[in-house]
Amino acid sequence: MRMLQRSQASRLTLCMVLLLIAPFARAQDSGLGIDLQFGNALDPSGLEPSSGIGTLGCDPDGASWLTSVRKRTPTGFLYACPPDHPEFLLGGEWQYRGAFSVGYLGLSGDQDNMLFSRYSNWDDGLYLGGSFRYEKPSDGSYFDVRASRINDDDQYLRALYGRAGKYRIQAFVRSQSNVTSSNARSIWEGIGSNNLTLNGALTPASSTSAQVAAVSASQPEQSLVVVRDKQGLGINYFISPRWVAFGNISHESRAGARPFGGPFFFNYPFADNGGAYEIPRPIDDSTVNLNGGARWTGSAWRMEFAYSGSFFRHANGTFDYQVPFAVRPVVPGLVSPLLTSGQFAYEPENDYHHLRVNLTRKIALNGEFSLAASGGELSQNDQLAPPMTCTGQFGIPVIPGNLYDCANWNTSAALSRARADLAIKTSMLDARVVLQPGRDVTWRASAKYDRQDYQGDYDAFNPLTGQWGYPAENGAQGSVVPFESGIWDPGPGASNITRIRNLPLDRELLQFTLSADVRLNTSNSLGTTYSFDRTKRGNREVATTNDHSLKLTWHNRTFDWLTFRANYTYLRRTGSEYEFNPYEYTFSTSLPGFVIPPNGVPAHTVSAMRKYDVGGRTQHKADLMATFVLPSDMTFYASVRGDWNDYSAVIGRRGYDALGGSLQWEWQPTTATVASVWYGFDRSSLDLANVNDAALTPDPVLGGATYPEANRWWSRDRQRNHYAGLTLNQTVGRIKLDANWNWSSSRGRTSYSFNSPGALTTPALAALLTGQFPDMLYRAHAVSLGVAIPVNRSFSVRVFDRYERGRVSDWHYLGFENGQVLDHRVDTDGGPTDYSANLIGLAFEVKL
Amino acid sequence: MRSVACAALCLAAGHAGAQSAGQTSALDESSAGTNTQVAAALLHAPYSDLRAIRPIAGDAEAGRRKSESCAGCHGEHGIAIVQEFPSLAGQHADFTYWQLVEYKRDAMPGGQMTPPMTPLAADLSDADMRDLAVYYAGLDPAAAPATEAAARPATAEQLQRGELLYLSGDPGRGIPPCQGCHGSDARGHRDALRRDRNGRTPYAAYPALRGQQAAYLRLKLAEYRDGKQQDSTTDFVMSGVAVALDDASIQDLSAWLASLSWAAN
Repeated sequence: MRMLQRSQASRLTLCMVLLLIAPFARAQDSGLGIDLQFGNALDPSGLEPSSGIGTLGCDPDGASWLTSVRKRTPTGFLYACPPDHPEFLLGGEWQYRGAFSVGYLGLSGDQDNMLFSRYSNWDDGLYLGGSFRYEKPSDGSYFDVRASRINDDDQYLRALYGRAGKYRIQAFVRSQSNVTSSNARSIWEGIGSNNLTLNGALTPASSTSAQVAAVSASQPEQSLVVVRDKQGLGINYFISPRWVAFGNISHESRAGARPFGGPFFFNYPFADNGGAYEIPRPIDDSTVNLNGGARWTGSAWRMEFAYSGSFFRHANGTFDYQVPFAVRPVVPGLVSPLLTSGQFAYEPENDYHHLRVNLTRKIALNGEFSLAASGGELSQNDQLAPPMTCTGQFGIPVIPGNLYDCANWNTSAALSRARADLAIKTSMLDARVVLQPGRDVTWRASAKYDRQDYQGDYDAFNPLTGQWGYPAENGAQGSVVPFESGIWDPGPGASNITRIRNLPLDRELLQFTLSADVRLNTSNSLGTTYSFDRTKRGNREVATTNDHSLKLTWHNRTFDWLTFRANYTYLRRTGSEYEFNPYEYTFSTSLPGFVIPPNGVPAHTVSAMRKYDVGGRTQHKADLMATFVLPSDMTFYASVRGDWNDYSAVIGRRGYDALGGSLQWEWQPTTATVASVWYGFDRSSLDLANVNDAALTPDPVLGGATYPEANRWWSRDRQRNHYAGLTLNQTVGRIKLDANWNWSSSRGRTSYSFNSPGALTTPALAALLTGQFPDMLYRAHAVSLGVAIPVNRSFSVRVFDRYERGRVSDWHYLGFENGQVLDHRVDTDGGPTDYSANLIGLAFEVKL
Repeated sequence: MRSVACAALCLAAGHAGAQSAGQTSALDESSAGTNTQVAAALLHAPYSDLRAIRPIAGDAEAGRRKSESCAGCHGEHGIAIVQEFPSLAGQHADFTYWQLVEYKRDAMPGGQMTPPMTPLAADLSDADMRDLAVYYAGLDPAAAPATEAAARPATAEQLQRGELLYLSGDPGRGIPPCQGCHGSDARGHRDALRRDRNGRTPYAAYPALRGQQAAYLRLKLAEYRDGKQQDSTTDFVMSGVAVALDDASIQDLSAWLASLSWAAN
């Protein structure tokens, strides 16, 4: 009791400090940056780094000395209870509390399975955690440090030092893992480096499928992991009660490897030729993020001036990989030069600068006017990589104009310029007015202008040869099919069709919004929002799209025990005439000297295609939500939502419908008991239509020579998801128990139909088709139980167990039990697999 | 820390609708129970949770008969004859009852303080405390004879400062307006008997201050400021407010409240 009184007295003193700074709390809470949440797989909330999950419980004192009634959100849910932190201890002018823990994590079963270890990379071993806080009530100073370590890939340390109303400094380091594969079999060595070399048993460009399969099968399964290490420093400083300056800087590095299916060596249409490779690509880069600025908060005016910047850097501009299989021409009797390796450019280094100004002023009718303006630039000026790395020659001999010297393409001299020198400039102006002429009416209006301008053009022109284009698929395509090298020249290749320049995608948005909220009486309120978006796009199928949207809302609180909300949104997108091929100028067909092939320039795509992001669309969307406030601090929630879309497309996305619902029950009768149960489902259906080309002719019309009716096909993806869960936190005396169960079940089914075998890539397979792919299934259970037993005031023991089981079926990986090499297609990742794993933990916690 | 901060902030905002953890206090049900139940509950409670109380009932006539020993200090008509003691006439019954409970709590093993009331409350039953509280609440302070104790004279400036502090607080010093909890007319919380969602009356034990004697008010405010009143949730609220009061502010407030007449607003 005496200790309680002392600590309460200290709390009261601090209370007054907090009271004094209350008017500035808004200014201090900038919300800037993403490093506001620190946690790990054991303690996602980050509240209990010293003891793991579930031991803190609810503060029996509640959240206020004024009333014991739990505060609810405007939609009827109980706010989370304040955690039951230990009482502060007194030490001179400072009061403090803290705890640290040492524990052991033991794993069994499929502990390395990617689905189990994805973001924690669990491992047997020591667990360390700690949390300490010091406060000086007399002037509001505080120091807070918390740390947690599960393993090298999942750990953090965060320290805060500040003085309420004066300054706040944060520093942190953290590591987070991403297990991208747990059953990778690599035929390459040097994983993680930017040079992947073939296993010693294989010969570049001279291996057989059987040899590659044997090497793949003999490799032990290994995990591919990308680890993010981040360090940061931030400061908020109150220059005066109205002026706040802030600045944050962070550095994040990523290192590791992940499966990457990009490398193609033109295997797709031709068996026993070329290759399609999934490689373990390296990840090795870093990003520096900066932001800083100042805010001013007055009684009538508020303003903010801010800069943010981001700088991405890679360790290597390219990575390359040896290939085991050779490419050969489809022309009988000819032999192509060997292509032994391929190359990819790493994501380009880039700089981002952004300036923003916000001004807000109170106006008449209890209103507020705000104006925001911003401008930015995202630029990249990387040293460009040579088009390829080959030596000797590539292409097809004998046929004139189809054999190329690598020396003309494997240096930077083969590029039209040495650096990228490209940028996107952004500008935005946003004006908003909010008026509240009476208690029951709120008007809002806004106008926004937003623009993205692409700066710079790049021509794929080789000054060494006077040719345009880029060797397709590291030279493989041109080594297999004549005149498909990806290179245009005014000579023999004058009819080659290839991309020759970059594609700027300028965009300009003009948006107007008008809305009103009306409180009809104490029980009912209505809201309506109309918005109009006009978007102009450069080099897209639709130059201008117009979106008209109307949203209606109704909130009803006729009964104390029920909050009912209903929302309905109607959206109609129209636009200018649809141009199915706006990309002509980016192809060699636009070059002077291009010679139209004897059969004409093949159609770019079918003219009936409508891309769903710019094509016409009608959407109806509805949400019904009811929150029941039941006795004994119980809450029951039920919702139904639907989304219906019609894209008015003959070819392309035709429709997307979704329907979902959820039920949720929460019970918090006392601070000693917190329980909840929930169930939800959603289902969706996505309809697509397309047509296979029958011949390379200029006719783009559906039903014509290129795209005959007979080659049309349709697909429907249907997703069904169910999820449920249960949580229980119970305090019995001094013992705290926690139990959680989560269940999810997902099924995806893709069905299809077609007019004739001509719709298929391989018509001969038509007889084998059933009209649908095997179901994609994912079912998972996760159960966790824990008990925390305080031995005395300072020492407690916690035992917890988490069991997870997952069942997965993904038809993309069917047959992998017979090997991950099929013909000339090499997969590295073994795909998701069933798993069953258990994690048991024992932790000892010592409180100060 | 958070709970106190929230309480103080809500006071500053002039309303008391802050969130709570929904704690079920032993006092909640015992308010309708027996003296034994009250004592048992208090022995194990670290503080009296007045957020969870319900309105009390009692027999005013029985209270009148039991009030003889009280009159020695609090006056025959409930107007204190000792300046440092509170007047009870017209005071909210719930406030008086829970004050008596606190005194009784101090008289039990584990009690922390021994004010003059402690031995007097030791032998009171729960029914006695209810009856007394209801009896004094029913007395009309305006009908009492003229002030039985001499009040310290106050200057006009002092009264003006006290009134301003009571009605508006002093945000610069972190002092919320007193009227948020004690009413704009100083007759108690405006929602004193309004039941919350759980049927409780968390503001019933907020006292009327109007017409209390200045010496008593000064004494109490100083105790709150100095952390000497830490026995109930209302003590925690009041301590958080009083911590910013200096001696001059306490003098001003006490003088202005003492100057108010029960007969008029």
